[in-house]
Amino acid sequence: MNTALGLAWRQLSHQPAKLLAASAGVVVAVMLMLVQLGIREGAVRNSVAFAGRLTADLVVISPTSDTIFRSTQFPRRLLYRLPADPAVITVSEVYMGQAQWKNPWLGIEHPISVYGLHPDRAKVDLPGLGQIHGLERADRFVFDALSRTNYGPVIASLDEHGPFYTEVNGRRVQIVDAVAVGVSIAVDGNIYGTPANFMRLFPSRHAGAIDLGLVQVVDGADLHAVRARLEPMLGPEARILTKDQLLEHEIAFLRSNAPVDFIFGMGTVVGFFIGFVVVYQILYTEVSHHLPQLATLKATGFTDRYLLRLVVWQALMLSCLGYVPGFLLALGLYRIAESQIQMPFAMTPERALGVGVATVLMCCFSAGVAVRRAWQADPAEVF
Amino acid sequence: MTPNPCRETSRVVRARGVSHSFGIGALERQVLFAVDFYLDPGEVVILTGPSGSGKTTLLTLIAALRTLREGELTVLGCDVRHALAKERIELRRRIGFVFQRHNLLGFLTARQNVELMFQLHPDVSRREARARAETMLARVGLSDHRNHPPDQLSVGQQQRVAVARALVSAPRLILADEPTASLDGLSGRNVVELLLEVARDNDCSVLMVTHDARVLDAAHRIVHIEDGAIQS
Repeated sequence: MNTALGLAWRQLSHQPAKLLAASAGVVVAVMLMLVQLGIREGAVRNSVAFAGRLTADLVVISPTSDTIFRSTQFPRRLLYRLPADPAVITVSEVYMGQAQWKNPWLGIEHPISVYGLHPDRAKVDLPGLGQIHGLERADRFVFDALSRTNYGPVIASLDEHGPFYTEVNGRRVQIVDAVAVGVSIAVDGNIYGTPANFMRLFPSRHAGAIDLGLVQVVDGADLHAVRARLEPMLGPEARILTKDQLLEHEIAFLRSNAPVDFIFGMGTVVGFFIGFVVVYQILYTEVSHHLPQLATLKATGFTDRYLLRLVVWQALMLSCLGYVPGFLLALGLYRIAESQIQMPFAMTPERALGVGVATVLMCCFSAGVAVRRAWQADPAEVF
Repeated sequence: MTPNPCRETSRVVRARGVSHSFGIGALERQVLFAVDFYLDPGEVVILTGPSGSGKTTLLTLIAALRTLREGELTVLGCDVRHALAKERIELRRRIGFVFQRHNLLGFLTARQNVELMFQLHPDVSRREARARAETMLARVGLSDHRNHPPDQLSVGQQQRVAVARALVSAPRLILADEPTASLDGLSGRNVVELLLEVARDNDCSVLMVTHDARVLDAAHRIVHIEDGAIQS
């Protein structure tokens, strides 16, 4: 016991019930911070799942679209100008729209996103879509396996009985298979089909008005240079972005327009303060309780820095004792959240580390405030 | 009481014209008036006087716990008035303290409380610290109780642990402030005898504040303070 560390541990572990209460406070704080940040990140990441799956190098959108989920259309003919540039290999169009899905088991309608694209050449990574045959036949669609449960037991039914029929926008369609892409806070489910089948669901839409143009360029081309060359070819009626620009743009739009950041950011801050207050209370009580003893230590030659080390060590121990169970609990809650809101949540190393650092800061900050009480103790008063 | 100039330099405590006041402005109240005082190596001096006479103030000044503004004060070779805060802390580490209340840490055993003092002396190894703590506890008759926390000891035993704590790092000076105040007559007498005995073995000077008439005969010299001035 030659350092403040040993003394700190003895003081902390002297009353196990108190230690448990203090650690529980940190556990709650760690868990809250991890869960809030996880949902925040998950909500944004999942909401741009489709944009994230684009494998096209360049993307053409309408200049009036603020997000591809609420896109306005632009003329398809603009897209066909682009192969004039030698760097452009292929172009393909994507149509998007909101339709009403009839849950065939309950007979209830629920909104669903419909994508119309060429399964063989659209530059989108939809795993398995290319292998599904017969999609070009009329009124056939593929269901998004990550859709919420509002649409009925689609996946179970596909697994057991194979393709089945339902109604979308009042039209009888066949669901032939499923691919796993992802849904967002705004969108509950998706179906994917060819542009021709898309048009069948939206008779009022014109095939010449598209939502997204996907451009593939030759390997090794400077994307920004190609983009700059293509931009004047499109004119003012369309806008061209690199895939990364689109993703950034989508995330920025969500961050500024959906209350996700604010709500969950607030939850994170609340978690931090709960932890701060609990740890501060525990350390402050501990210091106040031992004030005559601490003043005695000061009188006999212990420095204020020693007392700070003593309290900071206790704070660090509380952070560690709280972090591990808090982390595990958060992982459990991620699993529960996944099954409840059907959005995947992953624990990233950055978040684990960031919350770890926040926990240590939170505890040290509490220690710094609590130790002032010990510093104010006048050793001359011991006599 | 003419100080012997030859012994002057070796004195443990030497105070000249020490005055002290509390409060400022109209509320200022002087508690010590030009006090001259000395303590020789190995000497045991008891400081008596009615409460409020300034004896505890003198003790805290010698312990470098209050800032000296008037007079000269040298303790264990350290000029307290002109010492830096860091040097005053260093000085306190060379003094053993026994307080009215033992103020032992409740979450440590008797031995750990005594051993804790060696955290101020990083040159002493952990093993040596432990051995010296055990020896000192044996010296105060608490070998069998060394692994008990303070709340399992009697008040007298607790004060003996405090004595062991004060003496364990072999200080040249012990400052004791009414060490018998919380004890009954017999155990009070025992604690003081023990303190003086161990101090004598270690050639350590003792300055003790007490009202306790039963222990006065243990001193080499009794200094009486009244109204902030030394009477004898």
